[in-house]
Amino acid sequence: MPWNYIISRLAMFFVTIYIASTIVFFLPRISGQNPLEEKLLEEAARGGFLEDTQAMVEAFDEKYGFNKPVWEQYVKFMVDIVQFDLGRSIFNWPKTVNQLLAETILWTIALGLLTLIFAFIIGTLMGAILEWKRHKTFLMVLMSPILTLSAVPYYLFGLVLLLAFSFVWSIFPLFGGYSRGIAGWPDWSNWSFIGNVLWHATLPALSVVLVSLGGWAMGMRGMMVTTKGEDYMLQAEAKGLPDRVMFFRYGIRNAMLPQLTGLALQLGLIVSGLVLVEVVFSYPGVGGLLVQAIPRNDHAVIQGIVFVLALGTALATLILDLAYPLVDARIKYSQG
Amino acid sequence: MEQVQTETSKMSWWNSLTARSEFTRDRVVPILRYMRRNRLIVFGLGAFMALALFVGLSFLFYEQEDSYQERQGVNGLVRAASVEQDQKPSWNPWSGYPLGTDPKGRDIYAAVVVGVPLTLRVGLLAAAIGVGVGMVLAFVAAYVGGAVDAVVRTIVDSLIPIPSLLVLVLVATSLNPGKGLTVDQLGFVIAVLAWPGPARVIRSQVLVIRERGYVEMARMSGTSALGIIFKEMMPNLAPYALASFVAAVSGSMLASIGLESLGLGPLDSPTLGSMIFWNISESSVLLGLWYWLLPPIVVLVVLFVGLFMISAGLDEVANPRLRRRV
Repeated sequence: MPWNYIISRLAMFFVTIYIASTIVFFLPRISGQNPLEEKLLEEAARGGFLEDTQAMVEAFDEKYGFNKPVWEQYVKFMVDIVQFDLGRSIFNWPKTVNQLLAETILWTIALGLLTLIFAFIIGTLMGAILEWKRHKTFLMVLMSPILTLSAVPYYLFGLVLLLAFSFVWSIFPLFGGYSRGIAGWPDWSNWSFIGNVLWHATLPALSVVLVSLGGWAMGMRGMMVTTKGEDYMLQAEAKGLPDRVMFFRYGIRNAMLPQLTGLALQLGLIVSGLVLVEVVFSYPGVGGLLVQAIPRNDHAVIQGIVFVLALGTALATLILDLAYPLVDARIKYSQG
Repeated sequence: MEQVQTETSKMSWWNSLTARSEFTRDRVVPILRYMRRNRLIVFGLGAFMALALFVGLSFLFYEQEDSYQERQGVNGLVRAASVEQDQKPSWNPWSGYPLGTDPKGRDIYAAVVVGVPLTLRVGLLAAAIGVGVGMVLAFVAAYVGGAVDAVVRTIVDSLIPIPSLLVLVLVATSLNPGKGLTVDQLGFVIAVLAWPGPARVIRSQVLVIRERGYVEMARMSGTSALGIIFKEMMPNLAPYALASFVAAVSGSMLASIGLESLGLGPLDSPTLGSMIFWNISESSVLLGLWYWLLPPIVVLVVLFVGLFMISAGLDEVANPRLRRRV
C-alpha cells in the first residue's frame, strides 16, 4: 500500500474530526443563551431565593473562561479536545462529561457492534443464497416483509415490538438494560446477571437487526448477480467443483467485498439510529444521556456525545479503508 | 343499416378517444408501458395515492362534535384539547371517535390526518433546499474543477461520515432552546445537512455527462456554458436528480421524525413525529394505549415504504445496469 494513500486518508480523517469539533463548538454559541444562568434561575424560582445568581454565573464564566473572546475560547476548546477533555456537565455537577460517557457508552457500543455484526452476517448470507438458489419460492416470500421493514426506522419498529412482546405477551421486559433492585447488581462475574442483560437486550437488538437485514441482503444479491456471470465461475463449474465450494470460495468471497465498504457507513447510521432505540427501550446507553441533556440545555454533554460518536464513526471508516487492501489483494491505490 | 351506422359512430368515438396523438404516442404510451414493467414505482405511487385520498377525503368530510358539543372539522378537532375531568382516554370506534382520543382529549384520527401533510411538508422543504444546493455545488465543482472541486469534494466526503441526526440535535437545541421549532424552521434545520449526499451523486453524473458527444457538439457549435448546462445536461440529469430528490425527501422525513421523537420538533403542531414523542414521554406502551401508538406508526410505515419503492423504481430508470437485471 503506497504511503501517499495512507497519508491522504489520514488527512481526510483529521479534516472530518476538525469539522466535527468546530461544528460542536460553534453551534451552541449561536443561541447566546447561558444554560447555567437558566439552571440557577430555575433553582431560585423553586427555592424562593434570588440572591447573587448573577455573581455566581460570572464566577463560573470566569473560572471556565466563557467571558473571553470567542477565538480564545475556540483555541482553548480545541486544545481541550486534543487532550480529550470534554468539560463538565452542568446538571450532573460536578461529574465530567468523560465520566458520564464512560458510564453509558459501553452499552451503546456493545449493542451497536453486536447488532451490526449479526445483521451483516445474516443479511449477506441471505442475499447470497437468494441469488444462488433462485427457484426457491419460500426465499422470495421471506424477502418481501424483510425488504418492507428495511424502509422503516429502527425505533418505530422497536415500539411495535415492545407493544407486542412486552405489553401484550409479556415475554420480554418493558424497559431498562437489566432488572433493578436486586442486591449486588450490576455484577459482571455473575452469570444470571449476564443472562438478565442479554434478555433485556434482545428486543432492542432485534429491532435493529430485522430492519437492517434487507439492505445487506439486497446489496449482496446485486453483487452476486455480477459474480455469477464471471468467467472464473464458469471455469469452476466446468471443473466440476461441488456447489458448496463454488458458493463459499468463489461466490461469496468475491461478492462480499463491496459489502465491507458499506460496513463503516452503516456503523454511523446504526449509532445515530440506536440513540432513539435506546430512548424507546429506556436502555442505559448514550441515547438516554442525550435525552436527559436536551431539555436542560446541558451543552457540554450534548457536545461531548456528538463529538465522540462522530469520532467513532470516522475512526471506523478510516480503519476499514486502510484494512481493505488486506482483504482484497487486487486493489491497487494509484492515486488516493 | 341503422345498426351499422351506430356501430361506426361508436367506433369513431372510441377511436377519437384512443387516437394516438403525437403526444400520447411519444410521451404517455412509453411511460405507461414502462410502468407496467417497473412495478415498484406503481406500488409506491399507489401507496401515496391511497394516503393522499384518505387525507383529502378526511379533510373534506370528517366531522365530529368536540367536547363543547360543537361540530368541528379535522383541524378544529386537533386544536380542541380540552377534556372533562372524568373522561379517560378510550377506544370505542362505534360511539364518537373512530380511533379514540389521546390522554389530552384530542381525536387521534384527526391528529393523524393533519399530521401527514405537515410531516411531508418538512420532508419536501428540506429535500428541495438540499437537492438545490447540492446541484449548484455539483455543477460548480464539476465545471470549475481544480482547487474548487477539491475543496467541495473534501468537505462533502468529510461531512458524510458525521452522524447527521446528532448534529441536527445540536442545531435544534441551540436555535430555540426549550421551546421547540416551528414546522418550517424544522425543515430549514434539516436542510443544513441534506446537501452532501445529492451533491456527491450529481457531481459524478455531471462529470460523466460532460464528456458525452452531444455536449461536445453543443460546445463546438458555440453554445454558452449556461446554455449547455440548462439545455443539454439538465434534461439528461433529470432522472438522477429526481431519484436523489426522492431519497432526500425520505431521509429528511426520517431526520425530522427522529428530531421530533426526541422532543425537538414543533410540539404544538400534531406532526406524526410529535405524536411519537408524546407516546414515548407519556409511556403509552406501559399504559397499553395501542390505539394511540399504532396509527402514526402505520401511516409512517406506508409513507416510508412508498417513498422507498418509488426511489428504488427511479434508481432503475436512472441506472440502466439495474434495468437489465429485471
